[in-house]
Amino acid sequence: MAQMMMREAILETIRAEMRRDPTIMMLGEDIVGGMGTAGGPEAIGGIWSTSTGLYEEFGPNRIIDTPISESAIIGSAAGAALAGKRPIAELMFADFVGVCMDQIWNQIAKFRYMFGGKSKCPVTIRLVYGAGFNAAPQHSQAVYAMLTSMPGLKVVLPSTPADAKGLLTQAIRDDDPVLFFEHKALYGMKGEVPEGDYQIPFGHARQVRSGEHVTIVTCGMMVGVAERAADQLAQEGIGCDVIDMRTTSPLDEEAILDSVEMTGRVVLVDESPPRCSVASDVAAMIANRAFAALKAPPQMVTAPHSPVPFARELESAYIPSAPKVIDAVRHVLAYR
Amino acid sequence: MAALKPFAMPKWGIEMTEGTVAEWMVQQGTPYEKGALLALIETDKITNEVEAEAPGMLARIVASAGETYPVGTLLAIISDGPATDAEVDAFLATFKPADALGSAGRGSTDRAPAPQPAAASPAIPADFAISPAARQLAEARGIDVSTVPGSGRNGRISLQDVEQAVRPPKPAIGGAPVSVEVPFAAIDHFYASPLAKRLAHQNGVDLATVTGTGPRGRICKADVLSRMVPAAAGPRVQPMDKVRKVIARRLTEAKQTIPHFYLRSEARVDALIELRRQANLFLGDKASINDFIVRATALALIEVPDCNVQVHGDAIHYFPTADISVAMATDRGLVTPIVRSAECLSPHEIARTTKALLARAKAGRLGYEEMDGGSFTVSNLGMFDVDDFDAIINPPQGAILAVGAARRVWGEQADGSGAFESRIALTLSCDHRAIDGATGARFLAALKALLEAPERLFPQT
Amino acid sequence: MQLSRDQLVQAYRRMATIRAFEERLHEEIAKGEIAGFTHLYCGQEAVAVGVCEHLADDDFIVSTHRGHGHCLAKGVDVKGMMKEIYGRSTGLCKGKGGSMHIADVDKGMLGANGIVGAGAPQAVGAALAAKMDGKGKVAIAFSGDGACNQGTTFEAMNMAVVTKAPCVFVFENNHYSEHTGPDYATATASDIAGRAEAFGMKAWRANGCDFFDSYEAMRELLEHVRGGNGPAAIEFDTERFYGHFEGDPQRYRGDGEIDRLRAERDCLIAFRRKVSEAKLLEAADLDAVDAETASLIEEAVQEARAAPLPTPEMVLEDVYISY
Repeated sequence: MAQMMMREAILETIRAEMRRDPTIMMLGEDIVGGMGTAGGPEAIGGIWSTSTGLYEEFGPNRIIDTPISESAIIGSAAGAALAGKRPIAELMFADFVGVCMDQIWNQIAKFRYMFGGKSKCPVTIRLVYGAGFNAAPQHSQAVYAMLTSMPGLKVVLPSTPADAKGLLTQAIRDDDPVLFFEHKALYGMKGEVPEGDYQIPFGHARQVRSGEHVTIVTCGMMVGVAERAADQLAQEGIGCDVIDMRTTSPLDEEAILDSVEMTGRVVLVDESPPRCSVASDVAAMIANRAFAALKAPPQMVTAPHSPVPFARELESAYIPSAPKVIDAVRHVLAYR
Repeated sequence: MAALKPFAMPKWGIEMTEGTVAEWMVQQGTPYEKGALLALIETDKITNEVEAEAPGMLARIVASAGETYPVGTLLAIISDGPATDAEVDAFLATFKPADALGSAGRGSTDRAPAPQPAAASPAIPADFAISPAARQLAEARGIDVSTVPGSGRNGRISLQDVEQAVRPPKPAIGGAPVSVEVPFAAIDHFYASPLAKRLAHQNGVDLATVTGTGPRGRICKADVLSRMVPAAAGPRVQPMDKVRKVIARRLTEAKQTIPHFYLRSEARVDALIELRRQANLFLGDKASINDFIVRATALALIEVPDCNVQVHGDAIHYFPTADISVAMATDRGLVTPIVRSAECLSPHEIARTTKALLARAKAGRLGYEEMDGGSFTVSNLGMFDVDDFDAIINPPQGAILAVGAARRVWGEQADGSGAFESRIALTLSCDHRAIDGATGARFLAALKALLEAPERLFPQT
Repeated sequence: MQLSRDQLVQAYRRMATIRAFEERLHEEIAKGEIAGFTHLYCGQEAVAVGVCEHLADDDFIVSTHRGHGHCLAKGVDVKGMMKEIYGRSTGLCKGKGGSMHIADVDKGMLGANGIVGAGAPQAVGAALAAKMDGKGKVAIAFSGDGACNQGTTFEAMNMAVVTKAPCVFVFENNHYSEHTGPDYATATASDIAGRAEAFGMKAWRANGCDFFDSYEAMRELLEHVRGGNGPAAIEFDTERFYGHFEGDPQRYRGDGEIDRLRAERDCLIAFRRKVSEAKLLEAADLDAVDAETASLIEEAVQEARAAPLPTPEMVLEDVYISY
């Protein structure tokens, strides 16, 4: 076991995988940094420090620092995957998915299906998402709901460094296209990471806290928010079962429903605005399949129906917080 | 400083307006575990058990057993630990009925109390932001919608909002701090669902030995459970269900508190058997021996009314009719539905009644009124070939008759010769507080006489 | 450069197969048996064959919505394609893709594509993969005079140049971008290849209605690209004889335009004329190929009609490899 930050766990995973499998290549903007400048390659050591040193070890054929051309980056990843490689493509900000959406939605997501199951597209797209750095509306969104809804894609959101390693290993080795969401505010999160090779299978939620009064379902950075809320509520004798979905597609429905059947009450916590969000989707699934077990309507704690605002006070009000989750838990316990 | 919470008269169903505290099942100040029985509350429909949602104690019991209170009235104060009188008094002072939400420290003084149903209230303006169904409910119940918080756009009131406002708050969940740690949180190589891991951990199942049959080959709850049934050692532990718990409690109480004594007798039933055969043939209807016995019991109780009693504390209730509880075995356990006024029913009418009751018992559809209030019980294990047995009295009844199987016995006849006779054993258990030996004996004698002259069991026409 | 007799027959066979395939589809679609949108390649055969005759199975091509010609030129199975267009479960894509999404990855055909311009970046990716392997393989992106305006095409060209990807941008200028002429929609309509040059890659130009011109230009180009000199582009001046899609009433054509094109710019007629003038092949050789091709297409249609239809359970197959 080693203590490391999530960004280190990600870097270590990419490095280990690229050593193991020579067909893995990586593309992205400034993943090397400094190309064509006086500072030279690796002048910045990778924009998010998740690719530091890779260029030096693996060379320009496998580590490709790209121009600012999201469609070309993702499209190249798609083509390289069809041609037999295992590309990792990075979108510097998840919000840029709008620029290259066709390559994800109409191309990568559909190749296997529309080519009759004869091709495989083992591409891993790493997207850096989330609010908390005052990066303003176009650089702070949590876009995973839209991608979760697309058949043909898998969507992964690690919440700890240990999970990041296991899930990224699985993502890279998975022969289906995977969108791997890294929260920018979690990059610096420290945690114990087991050594050696391990994969966390998709569709396998993690139990973060164990309690019998309320189920809290969440993912990504909101897992920490739910933990803080649960720990505070535990002091009052209210036990929360906190479930980290880890992957929204495929979804671990069984873990969620097993918990709700036990507690009868559920709070969904989601960093996205509420309409057509993962929170709404899972709430509907619960209401559809565990209605008889519910003692109260599912509660949702989400961002508001607005873009992510810039000012500190506004952004703090936007992001779901532990007090909001606690209020929701009390509310669901008080349902008559 | 204890955390105090109110325990108010709950509302079960839209129609309930009041309930009676039949019995307090815990003592004031005595700690109890989660799931402990706190009280029995009766409504006009049913007697319900209130269980503790969390461990704690009743710091003060406010409501008296046997009294009736409106829904929402404070019945007791629940505490997570010992509380001083001062704390309890302070809580009582601030408690408002129907304002029992949340723990003492939450400062709920700005909450409006739930609206009380009024006899008449102003009609809701046509342009009020409220859904049609909510409007209907509010008008029917006379609810002042201006005090109902609306959850819809711009505060529009929905049906759910009105229903939430109508119902009084539940006792709050919470109390002493709980641990929410997950002991099996480390990343391991077992692909098992969180619930399966929890179960395995709690029950000492080694996940390495479990094959997964869940989605994507994952170990799921069923897989762990199948491992938990050990091949050789250990009994199967089945927690008692509600019905069994009630039976256990009542019969334990009966055995411990009622001074039972037992009178034994036998009746010769050859005549009864033959009469039954002929009657069934003649009437084209089937009555069992037990139906005749119930009939005989009813007539005997009318003859000896001192055995047709219920015992309530210091009082004895004498019943004018023979409302006989007939013991019936079903998959769900023993039930004793009542054949009312059995002295007015012929054996075949009793047969029809008991058949109908048995069918309902098997379907789990026996209502409260069908089981409450009998004055005497007949329990027959003859069909299982039991010779005789001593039954436990069902309180508050005063006695119970246990009937055995018919046996062929060599007996002396009136003329001094010997012959085989069919005899059944009759064992009468009596509550000595209300029934003396002589009284019980007189009843048994009357019963025996009726059974041995079975034509008396048919109504005289 | 001189082609051998076999190579000439092969080239003609390929072009004739494409022509016969597409012409037959034109008839069959009018009967209403075939679902969805189909875009026919008649008139552009010289481009597809002129390009693909230089390619092996491990060179890659990415095609457009008008992809039948590219597929057939790359050696994709004729009957499998016909079954796919007829929506059969034994079609090349199990009836999941149809005309616009035919692919055969094993033959280096990375898919026809319904999104205009989407293929260009994918070809760059395939070229990067080829570059990793270092065996001199290339990836070809087919585009039209429509796709040359799509942002993805520009991104792809820039990316190919800066990464020195062995990618070839083929612009088939058939003078119609859906229902619009290039002079209207394309700012540099007279010189699409010039755009590629502006990105810093070499560009060729050729007559896309003449096999020999197309083939020779590609030969030079591929020598350049396979030699590790980065990407290149080529603009083919060609014609399509049918509409943008089958069912297109083509009201944008001039009077007698199609007849004139079929008379003056038919690559099969041009091929025949050239090989007989140069005494490389006899008419009878070519007629024999025509006859074989005709019966192949006839068989393909019959087999497609008789092939099994997909069943509803197949809807959920192949969304993922494992979920």
